[in-house]
Amino acid sequence: MKKASFGAWLATFLLCLGFWMLVTLSTAPDMLIAGVIVSLLASLFAARFFIHESPFHLLNPKHLFSLLGYTLLVFPVELLKANWDVARRALSPALPINPGIVKVPSEMKSEYGQAMLANSITLTPGTITLDVAEDEQGKAWYYIHWIDVAEGTAEEQGETIKGTLEKWVGRIFE
Amino acid sequence: MSEILRYVSDAFVVLGIFFAFAGTVGLLRMPDAFCRMQSSTNIATLGLYGAVIGGLVKAVSMILEGHELGWTMLVKIALIGLFSILANPIGGHSIAKAAYRKGVEHTEFVCDKYGEDEFDD
Repeated sequence: MKKASFGAWLATFLLCLGFWMLVTLSTAPDMLIAGVIVSLLASLFAARFFIHESPFHLLNPKHLFSLLGYTLLVFPVELLKANWDVARRALSPALPINPGIVKVPSEMKSEYGQAMLANSITLTPGTITLDVAEDEQGKAWYYIHWIDVAEGTAEEQGETIKGTLEKWVGRIFE
Repeated sequence: MSEILRYVSDAFVVLGIFFAFAGTVGLLRMPDAFCRMQSSTNIATLGLYGAVIGGLVKAVSMILEGHELGWTMLVKIALIGLFSILANPIGGHSIAKAAYRKGVEHTEFVCDKYGEDEFDD
């Protein structure tokens, strides 16, 4: 575990302080001083676990707007489609399921991007990420339990599962 | 205005109830642990988010009416939404992985790429 940079420490501190202010909902000086002390201690301890890559990456407007577009527009639409699909399977009398575990490739290089894509896949009903592994070339492979396995190569299955998600997560983190 | 927002809020809660119902039915009907988890994601995403968005809209309508509890309600509900969306996938992933490693019984998989690859940890 390498030592945290000043930027990483500052970003963690600001996040902790912002969260403190959100929870206390107060601007009284004694509350703010207590918040600064607590955030300082927490960030000194946690920064090296919390931030591994560029700490202010998301402040770039291009990345920030991609993040907003992803969380408010692209992901909810995917969520709604997948939810409807699984709800239909659960309520249908024939119970049409075809479960299996597939292995699909990902182009994502950034650690955060890989984690965010894996979590997005898990949050979508019908697919759960079991594991992420890297091969010799450093390419990430996802092991995904899928409730309705479609025929095809790993790339085609990956295209069906990830859809537009990978493109958008890539825009945020790369 | 706040009258209309109350109806919108109710509509979101009803949508959440529908997906929570579908998820519960799936939880009872699905044949094995992995498929049951897939169905429970229904409850954890849109079932919960229907209620969260309904609550947010309701808080906005309270603010418009000049109710002073509106703002704290808004912040609290937004935090519930934020933390559940951060924690849910990690928990789901760990449970599914642990179940697989432990060798929980399951119906026949169409393909099992995870079992074919060797892991030595």
